[in-house]
Amino acid sequence: MKIIVCYMLLFLAFMFGSLSTRAQFDPDKVCRVDNGQLIFTLNLKWTEQEKKEVAELFDLDSALIAQVYNGKLAITIGNENWKVKKLQANWIELSKLVQSKTDKNINFDDLFLVIDDWMNFAGNATEEAVIYGFNNFEISNAFVYSSGTAMFYLPGSNSAHKVYISGTFNNWSTAQTPMKFMGNGWLVDLKLEPGKYAYKFIVDGRWTTDPSNKQREMGDAGSYNSVVYCTNQLFELNGYKNARKVVVTGNFYDWNKRGLAMNQTSTGWSLPLYLRDGTYSYKFLVDNEWLTDPGNPMVRKDASGNENSFLSIGEPYLFRLDGFSTAHKVVLTGSFNGWNETELVMDKTAKGWQLPYVVGAGNYEYKFIADGKWMTDPANPFSTGTGNYENSFIALKANHIFELNANPDARAVIVTGSFNGWNRQEYRMKKEGGKWIFPIYLKPGKYTYKFIVDGNWILDPANKLYEGNEYNTNNSVLWIGPVQ
Amino acid sequence: MKSERMKYSTLFCLLMVVVAVFLSSFSPGFYTSALTDAPPIPIYNSIRVFHTEVYEPEFDLKIDSFVIPLKRAGRLFLIEAKVDNEEGNLIFDTGASGLVLNSTYFRNYIKTETKNSSGINGAVGLVEKISVGKLEFAKLSYKNLWADLVSLGHIENRRGVKILGLVGFGMMRNFEIVLDSKNNELKLFRIDKTGKRLNSQSPEFKSDYNQKIEGNGNILFLKGMIGGKMLNFGFDSGAETNAISSFSNKKIMSTITITRRMTLKGAGASGREVLFGRMNDFTIGPRQILNMETIITNLAALSDVYGTHIDGMLGYSFLEHGTICVNFVKKQFGIRFWKGDDK
Repeated sequence: MKIIVCYMLLFLAFMFGSLSTRAQFDPDKVCRVDNGQLIFTLNLKWTEQEKKEVAELFDLDSALIAQVYNGKLAITIGNENWKVKKLQANWIELSKLVQSKTDKNINFDDLFLVIDDWMNFAGNATEEAVIYGFNNFEISNAFVYSSGTAMFYLPGSNSAHKVYISGTFNNWSTAQTPMKFMGNGWLVDLKLEPGKYAYKFIVDGRWTTDPSNKQREMGDAGSYNSVVYCTNQLFELNGYKNARKVVVTGNFYDWNKRGLAMNQTSTGWSLPLYLRDGTYSYKFLVDNEWLTDPGNPMVRKDASGNENSFLSIGEPYLFRLDGFSTAHKVVLTGSFNGWNETELVMDKTAKGWQLPYVVGAGNYEYKFIADGKWMTDPANPFSTGTGNYENSFIALKANHIFELNANPDARAVIVTGSFNGWNRQEYRMKKEGGKWIFPIYLKPGKYTYKFIVDGNWILDPANKLYEGNEYNTNNSVLWIGPVQ
Repeated sequence: MKSERMKYSTLFCLLMVVVAVFLSSFSPGFYTSALTDAPPIPIYNSIRVFHTEVYEPEFDLKIDSFVIPLKRAGRLFLIEAKVDNEEGNLIFDTGASGLVLNSTYFRNYIKTETKNSSGINGAVGLVEKISVGKLEFAKLSYKNLWADLVSLGHIENRRGVKILGLVGFGMMRNFEIVLDSKNNELKLFRIDKTGKRLNSQSPEFKSDYNQKIEGNGNILFLKGMIGGKMLNFGFDSGAETNAISSFSNKKIMSTITITRRMTLKGAGASGREVLFGRMNDFTIGPRQILNMETIITNLAALSDVYGTHIDGMLGYSFLEHGTICVNFVKKQFGIRFWKGDDK
């Protein structure tokens, strides 16, 4: 009996032993600072995967790691001297002095971006990326949108002195947009484009989500914001009064059969929806029966022969190519459709070829393919890149024009900045009436930029706003406000 | 009055030397290579200005208290403001003493004091001071006031908001100041000579813990404990994370978990080291706060500027744990922790 107990104890001791000699891997225990030394405790038995993870977390050079695992005891990488100390059981300590010298050429933005990344700072979701949306208010008069005017109503708060509305439409201003007291609540009318907006009320200094609005999302400030859509498409289906459930679905909703529920009205069913600029196919589902929109004559067959209703939101842009009358087929391709070479076949006209196409606001590159031959748009003076990589450039719904009213004799002027990653070739300006111009679409926010005149970088002489950069030259500063 | 002005000017001159040396350590525009012991990571917005100005605001005397809605850009608290005709935001940054303005928007002002100082370490720095006509935010308005001019473009680029400048406690030390980080509110209460709120309607701040404010400056220093050692922390609402000195002793450092390191490669330079991790054993008063994000850095230069030894900085990682009340007349700091926040 005693012997059995002894063996069991031995077995347990062996189990424990094998557990502790197994190369433990805990990234939280790898790095420490002690007395001005930065020390990494590493295990020689770690797997390649574990080594790689540590190297990535702590930005350790692969050459350094290789030398450590080859048994070197003193290693110099760049101007840093590393020492290796052997501990027991395959453990080693890799150390060097904690860096304390400043670096003149450090780019602060890079530094903070790294820290932001570590701290998981996620910015607000871009409102432009939203394809569709609808409202969900508890009381119908809390929000009304018609003819480009949005009316927000906050019932109650009768004793408040001042109420403001603050949201993405006014850059979250806490003071620009006061509401009016109407005896039983607060009201404001705002001119807004169709789209998604996040907002809050500020009642005597206190942030308040809209009590009537059931739609909320987590904001940058760690609290919920109300969300509203200024709708631009009214889906309507007359009749079917006895139906239990009517939904609309389409490519904007990935043809999900759950669909977006329509509301019963006195004449049938309806749903006001926001849809981003573009072309959409859709159908109604009346008690699970598919139905094209009887009120919309635009019906097309899809690849499997099913009929779908179609609608377009936004003004189409007319792409044109004059001439090429003997060509058999001309295709439009560009960054707006992922450079698809077959999708957008142009229509033949008396003068050449054309295609009306709806694309949202933005900067796009494109080319025509005439009988298999790629070409830039001969009628468009704006292009990016050179040689085979030259593409025509168009800014749709451009909201800013870069202008340089100087250097009329320059051979080439480029505008470059934070909007295109400081690309030195991309955006060539066009000379027009002695000035250099470049129309562009820029999302709301801050931009830094410069002009490159025949290879020389210059500030925008017409812009008094500029800031320092890591090269000790300066960059011009431009703010684009929110669309209103 | 004139002599008072002279006194302040002298004070400024002296302080500007310190400020110049300090600013020169991180602002790219003010860089000087002579300063080698500056912190590898600026805390955290890289600008600290230290002087003891008190700004006297004008405001509606009928109001005893009011709430300033704070905007947020990541972990920064912003106050919408207007400086002369320029509209934008001021960062509520208790690590700055007075008013600091962004050179992008105010560089054309006449520089009333430009110091080309050769101060400590023989460093040469340049700090410009301007006078602005009017500053307005919330219900407060200040006339003819001095401001330091520095470049704050890097904060704008990172956060995408227009930053006119920084504003610290110095601008509002005649009020009791309550910072509610959860609801994004800065509440200001008018107080009498003894520091009591004038408004009898609003009871005094209910705190879980109070600490005496030492010194007369506009920067708040708090005592906190790590690894059983009492340490001195700067209280900095402009710091988006805490910081701890990389030269703290072994016992303290053993409670800090380092989870990330990064060397940033500058143009033609060896790179700058950034260490990031967690404070696992921080205690203030009766409360232990676990798991606060922190950077680990050399705080020697900051200690020099603040004129007192600093072991760490308490920034957003600390602020998000409770509502804070500061009363410079009573010389009292109070905190009410969020319920269910801690173990």
